[in-house]
Amino acid sequence: MATKPKAAAKGKGRAKAAPKRAAKGKASLANDDIGEDTRLALWRSLLEIRHVEQRAYDLFLQNLIKGTSHLALGHEAVAAGFATAMQKDDWSFCTYRGHHHTLARGASMEGVLGELMGRQCGLLQGKGGSMHLTSVEHGAMGSYAIIGAHLPIAMGAAWTAQYKKTGQVSVCFFGDGTTNIGAFHEALNMAAVWKLPVVFVCENNLYMEYTPIKDVTAVHNPAGDRAASYGLPKIVIDGNDADEVYRTAQTAFAKARAGDGPSLIECLTYRHSGHSRADPGDYRPPGELEAWLKKDPVPRYRERLAEFGISKDVIDGMDAEVLAQVDEATEISKASSPPGLELIDVDVWADGGTAWRN
Amino acid sequence: MAELTYREAVAEAIAQEMRRDEDVVFLGEDIGAAGGVFKATVGLFKEFGPERVRDTPISEQAILGAAMGSAMTGLKPIAEIMFSDFLAVCWDIVANEIAKARYMTGGQMSMPLVIRTANGGGSRFGAQHSQSVENWAMMIPGLKVVAPSSPADVKGLLAAAIRDPDPVMFFEQKSLYPIKGFVPDGELVDELGTAKVLRDGGDVTIVALAAMVPRAMKAAEELSAQHGIEATVVDVRSLVPLDTQTILREISKTGRLVTVEENPRLCGWGAEIASIVADEIFWDLDGPIIRITTPHIPLPAADALEDATMPSAERIVREIVEKID
Amino acid sequence: MDVIMPQLGETVAEGTVSVWHKTIGDTVSTKEPLFDVSSDKVEMEVPAPAEGTLLEIRVDAGTTVPVGEVVAIIVREGEVIEAKAAAPAAVRAEAEVAKADVASIRSNSVKAANRDANGNPLSPAVRRLVAEHDLDPTAIAGSGLKGRIKKKDVLAYLDSGASRAPARRFPAPPPLSFSADDTEVIPFNKLRKLTAEHMVRSKATSPHVLQAVEADFARVARARTGVSGGWKKREGYSLTYLPFIAKAVCEAIREFPRVNAAIDGENLVVFRRVNLGIAVDLDFDGLVAPVIKDADQMTLQELARAIRDVSERARTNQLKPDDFTEGTYTISNSGVFGTMITAPIINQPQVAILSTDGITKKPVVIETDDGDTIGIRPVGVLAQSFDHRAIDGAYSAAFLNRVREIIQTKDWATVLS
Repeated sequence: MATKPKAAAKGKGRAKAAPKRAAKGKASLANDDIGEDTRLALWRSLLEIRHVEQRAYDLFLQNLIKGTSHLALGHEAVAAGFATAMQKDDWSFCTYRGHHHTLARGASMEGVLGELMGRQCGLLQGKGGSMHLTSVEHGAMGSYAIIGAHLPIAMGAAWTAQYKKTGQVSVCFFGDGTTNIGAFHEALNMAAVWKLPVVFVCENNLYMEYTPIKDVTAVHNPAGDRAASYGLPKIVIDGNDADEVYRTAQTAFAKARAGDGPSLIECLTYRHSGHSRADPGDYRPPGELEAWLKKDPVPRYRERLAEFGISKDVIDGMDAEVLAQVDEATEISKASSPPGLELIDVDVWADGGTAWRN
Repeated sequence: MAELTYREAVAEAIAQEMRRDEDVVFLGEDIGAAGGVFKATVGLFKEFGPERVRDTPISEQAILGAAMGSAMTGLKPIAEIMFSDFLAVCWDIVANEIAKARYMTGGQMSMPLVIRTANGGGSRFGAQHSQSVENWAMMIPGLKVVAPSSPADVKGLLAAAIRDPDPVMFFEQKSLYPIKGFVPDGELVDELGTAKVLRDGGDVTIVALAAMVPRAMKAAEELSAQHGIEATVVDVRSLVPLDTQTILREISKTGRLVTVEENPRLCGWGAEIASIVADEIFWDLDGPIIRITTPHIPLPAADALEDATMPSAERIVREIVEKID
Repeated sequence: MDVIMPQLGETVAEGTVSVWHKTIGDTVSTKEPLFDVSSDKVEMEVPAPAEGTLLEIRVDAGTTVPVGEVVAIIVREGEVIEAKAAAPAAVRAEAEVAKADVASIRSNSVKAANRDANGNPLSPAVRRLVAEHDLDPTAIAGSGLKGRIKKKDVLAYLDSGASRAPARRFPAPPPLSFSADDTEVIPFNKLRKLTAEHMVRSKATSPHVLQAVEADFARVARARTGVSGGWKKREGYSLTYLPFIAKAVCEAIREFPRVNAAIDGENLVVFRRVNLGIAVDLDFDGLVAPVIKDADQMTLQELARAIRDVSERARTNQLKPDDFTEGTYTISNSGVFGTMITAPIINQPQVAILSTDGITKKPVVIETDDGDTIGIRPVGVLAQSFDHRAIDGAYSAAFLNRVREIIQTKDWATVLS
């Protein structure tokens, strides 16, 4: 398993223990509430997403990934921040743009890349594809390709947690475009009325597919300005700052676990690539991408780590280590066979079969 | 053996399963304190309380989303969609999500849930509250589809649906809610995917579903008494899985198939059965297949019009007498 | 390689494999007949399309298939047989499940005659039973709508003992007791068998009614006499009465088109073209009825030549499959032997047939303005059998009367000149 080391790091994600390595840089800040271990876990998560997504892009160009795919380059901090703050048995739900959330929850790189490539080693053995990445064992409860559908579903999972009093939370990631579909409002309202432990996370990347979200939405903050409708506070944060995302997630999870109901969090971020494989993103005004690239969550976090006195060796070492893992996962996926045709006839029903008649 | 109405059998089945299994929960509009708009869930709120019998807003997507999300994480929810016509506003959750989750995820997810809904015409409600839409569900891979015709079947099949590890669409025919029938005492669990032979006759096999079953039975008695035609009547009960063994066997015996379907003509479940018959027991057929359905129209509201469009016992008799020889 | 049902003629769409000369495993050759094909009244030997071995027979003898259908497979010398492409696993599994699960599924290879005595199509269940028990469906009484045979009718028929002595297309004659010394056994040739089958079928299908009129051929005779020498010299054969009768029939059909028709189910299909079948005896060795297409478009002379042509070709075995198709009305001529009247059997699926017999001189009462006198005139009987399902006696009689009128009153001499 190429990503084994990560699980260990994630397990300590919530640790508040003192850093193992004392800060030694001259201008380094004192360690704070997040701590070095968690920061390194966030860093690893950011790197994993960034490198896998870039690899996915490269594999498209080699025609090794078929169909469509929606890359999350630029969105890394939202997934890394929330996932790092989650407990292992919490549930996450995401959209067709869901590679980053699924990786952040701990799914293996070859599981993700293999699925994109339609190989046996894929998370879904090739039966779902890019838009449906799921890893139930990691609490990644599915990628939903119909806008809005998973908000009520995530709310339903939260109902289980509430009914069984397990203390689990359900986290639902979606885009700004989703705030204009009916299911968004149905789910928010019912979650608020039922006080369910669900956290709705809007990744506002300014575009619903190809159209600027401001052109099609009556309020400035598509999620934040709707929160009041459901008796919830408006929360709009910098989605490109992994630390801010992490802290916001912690607060929301504490509220949920305390039985105080859902949260709706709008994370401002930006898509570095087009909507999907087919989209070069030409509709974006000149300079917009360049301005956002200056706020790229990955280099930003590299600086942040340095500010907190983490050595260049450690930072770059982890980068190289993750890149090596991505290389390995790529080779595993390329070597993996296409799914066997026997898979066609399994898993419609709980008995493993597909029979609709006797 | 107690005599129950069809609607009482619904509540009995749910109560039986909720008593047995803490994971069974129930949600929907007006189902709790109000006991359901069709009074099919009276008593459940009182017995099991608001945490297990939950009233919802008018949010069908939220209702079914909640059912799906809770089913995949360990509960066994029963969701009520008040009228089956309303399935159209939450069909994404049914057709795209619930039905496909297990297959699409390579078997990672389970979906032990039941969607109950009041289906069909006969109540003068007009075209948006009277449709017979079981064929909508039948055509989606990954859904089981059940439509009972009697109180005993309601109780036994609903209990079986709740225990089934797969998603089950449970269509209750709303005009049948007041009908009475004997239901065995004690725990009752039937088997999904089984058709029932209700009457044995040598001349023609009538295959019917839900509200069309009592009408087919009445027609069969009339055919016997007035026309000397003896009809076998098969209650399909479950469209998915489909008990083709029983259905084909009974059609082979008489060589004649008449389907009686409440749905509008096109793509009704009877068309699928006719196609299977043509494929597999063609050489047993002793005459053309006859499909008796509602015309291909939105169902009108006025009693005179509704009665003239839905297949009636009289129409079944007439069509069989005219076409069977 | 595939062996296909050959095209027997431009207008022939199907053919019946009447006999296989080879069995599976036999060596076959382009120089030897592989099988015989028959269409309505033609028999044709078909050699193998290549040298090789007969691998598979797809169509049993007695079965009718469309032109172009594969009837057999042969392997050419040195040819490697391709394995059949394997179906995808899923599809195969589904097929196997379906096969295994439904015990009552029967083989789909049932073949049988497809209509009952009343022209109703047979249901699949009846077809299967008829095929399984080798029954003649036209012999089974139907209790359904319009006399349709139902499955239970076949079962009742079988219960009645018919299954022990199944009715056949060619009912076996009651056993004859004879001694070889006293008899000569002449096996039916192919044409005899086809004729037998056709005649039985026609009688079983159509309720025949015979009507006849007596016609005075005086004007025809005068016209013949007028041209006879020149005609024979020019054409090489005598001008007979038959072309005149054919011409009169063609003209009368214009006024009475329903005799020029066929029955299809519950419809009378009336033909716009008049394609005249001419029954020709093959020197006591069989009977054929080649068709003269669009006879109504021909002059008397053309008709005479056409009749002569098909008769000659019939006797010299030169007829082609197309010569037998699309007939709409038939004339049978036994006149050469001086018969007085013949009740002909309808040439299916037509609805009427005319027999012309001997034309002999007879004393005839002739009505004139000065009173009746007796004269000697050439007189012959025109007898028509018609299918009473299609038309009634009055219509047939009116048609016959019109034929007679044309024969008696037309200025034939001018027509011929």
